[in-house]
Amino acid sequence: MRKSIAINSAKLARLAVSAVGHEGTSLPGLVAEKIDPGLLAKLAKNNFSKGVIVVTGTNGKTTASKMIADVMQSQGISFIRNQAGSNMPRGIITTILQNSDSKGRCEADMALFEVDEAYVPAICLQLKPKIVTVTNLFRDQLDRYGELDSIATSFKKAFSSLDTTLILNADDPLVASLASGLSKKPVFFGVSDYTGETIENDNTADSIFDSENGEKLQYLQRYFGHIGIYTSKVSKFKRPTPNVELVKMHKLSKSSSNFDVKTSTLTQNIQLKLPGLYNIYNSLAAYAVCKSINIEDKAIASSLASSKPAFGRGEELPFGKKRLQIMLIKNPTGFNQIIQTFLKPKPQTNPVLFCINDNIADGRDVSWLWDSALEDIAGYQGKVIVSGTRAYDMALRLKYAGFKTAKIVIEPDIEQAIQKLLGSIKSGQLGYILPTYTAMLKARSIISQKSGHLVKGISQ
Amino acid sequence: MKPLKILHLYPDRMNIYGDFGNIICLTQRMKARGIKSQYFSRSIGEEIDQDFDIVFMGGGQDKGQASIAQDLQLKSRALHEHHMRNVPMLTICGAYQLFGKYFITAEGEELPGIGIFNAVTKATDFRMIGNIVIKSDVFGELVGFENHSGVTELLEGSNPLGSVIKGFGNSKDSKTEGILQGSAIGTYLHGSFLPKNPTVADFIIEQAVRLSQPEYSIGELDDWLENEASKIAKNRS
Repeated sequence: MRKSIAINSAKLARLAVSAVGHEGTSLPGLVAEKIDPGLLAKLAKNNFSKGVIVVTGTNGKTTASKMIADVMQSQGISFIRNQAGSNMPRGIITTILQNSDSKGRCEADMALFEVDEAYVPAICLQLKPKIVTVTNLFRDQLDRYGELDSIATSFKKAFSSLDTTLILNADDPLVASLASGLSKKPVFFGVSDYTGETIENDNTADSIFDSENGEKLQYLQRYFGHIGIYTSKVSKFKRPTPNVELVKMHKLSKSSSNFDVKTSTLTQNIQLKLPGLYNIYNSLAAYAVCKSINIEDKAIASSLASSKPAFGRGEELPFGKKRLQIMLIKNPTGFNQIIQTFLKPKPQTNPVLFCINDNIADGRDVSWLWDSALEDIAGYQGKVIVSGTRAYDMALRLKYAGFKTAKIVIEPDIEQAIQKLLGSIKSGQLGYILPTYTAMLKARSIISQKSGHLVKGISQ
Repeated sequence: MKPLKILHLYPDRMNIYGDFGNIICLTQRMKARGIKSQYFSRSIGEEIDQDFDIVFMGGGQDKGQASIAQDLQLKSRALHEHHMRNVPMLTICGAYQLFGKYFITAEGEELPGIGIFNAVTKATDFRMIGNIVIKSDVFGELVGFENHSGVTELLEGSNPLGSVIKGFGNSKDSKTEGILQGSAIGTYLHGSFLPKNPTVADFIIEQAVRLSQPEYSIGELDDWLENEASKIAKNRS
């Protein structure tokens, strides 16, 4: 009874939200959750006969989910998924309700959910997913998530009571340590060949310690943050051999990459139309997930080859003869990956706009800017504009990184800042926008209005 | 003048809230005045084997804090000697707590501190998170972000760094924030702390130079950007 009241109220709420013109991403779920707190478990129980896939981790959730969705779609698998950003319980409930009848029955065989780290235990215990993949774990919005160690501990506790296949990043020691003590053997993915650009002023290695005994891990190679090939000097803990392994890197650039991946069945070449090492990791996570639901290697590779950037994560928007590329930044590791991939390679001439907001969804605390490696690009040649509620904090960060203050344009208003960015992009040239989450939503909608192009809504 | 030696304690384990920003700020503000600096780090098992001119230690996760507490005891004597020489020290959050007499964790475990500060801290189940503004008699208004569940009690004879205008500080009731003891500062403010509070950064540099030049008085820099960023931070809810 309560379940049906909850479902119907949610459906009403969705109608109400649609009527006022907003895409209702979480309000219906919020209403339903309030009426029946156990609703998610009930909805999951009678649905998704072929299982639920959960994608979580600090960075890469949205992109990895999109890649998995692309592959599943290419295979004609019937599934539902949540939209980027709606990754808390209410957003997931809303997604299920949007796709179900008044009794909460959903036709899809599977569900693919990206899940906010803070809600992984609650959601996993209710959804009982068949597969959970953890892309990586880095410090992120400490005011919201709390400490990284407590996130990892909460994951471990939740996973230990589930019959789930864990798909883990072998190169992240904190993520790899989630495998200890599990009954089911996890699947690891990892990169074993990397010689590209690295960050010199990298202060983001959060988990360079053996989680068992606190001893410092020894790194044979570190790619970024605490990601790399590591081993413990005192215990048996070391980087696990990946089941889905990048064995040879052929090419890695601002716009694409090409590499060989080895699995238990074969070694094959993958072409990715997405920038940077971080997207290679996302693709390996997606590969491992898809392989675990018995999709053939060849089919995975061909689908990954056509994957496009997710919403605000490296997507390129045309603006007349100019082009804008939006790259969400929200924590130092992600920021460093954008620096490493886009801003560090010479000649460093593309105009760049940093939009730093400090709303709740961005994290109120902006101290992470100081852990980001702006020193690596202190001699940046292109125009630099800062914007958002914390434009001055960003300007200050750049000043102390060695940028010339007189060269930094400070424009807190995002619309004005985009105008100035466009003014400094030459015809045919690409300008970069690096926004925090709420600034990204704002920037996208402004660009959509200004360019007259319909920039697709919240979905990808 | 010889380069000023900055000692950064446990940068590998206590670095959670943009703590490197404080080091960056100090070295850049020295550079702007033609003062050279040398950066040293000392972590677990590494002795404080020489005299330093500035001591800095940042905040960490609970695990990081617990992992260094014992080792810090081994450095206690050298740090006390530095404090007696009036070497400026800046300790943030978890470091501030361990520079006090003790810290009682959420599990009730007592982590011994080194007692440079006459203060004690106890973890609570209430997390004090948000923008914070304090008023200090010495430094004027200071701004930062706090995120801690430890409540610090200043014992007799201790002076706070400032009084709380907005936020929590040492506890939600005391209206005091941090500690100022000679040239040693303990505070819950990060954000990073020094870049938006240049008066404190300059105090630390001035005190450090005075170790060898007692008459030294630090000159001003153009801080309009620092002041603007600080003003905006003060007005964020």
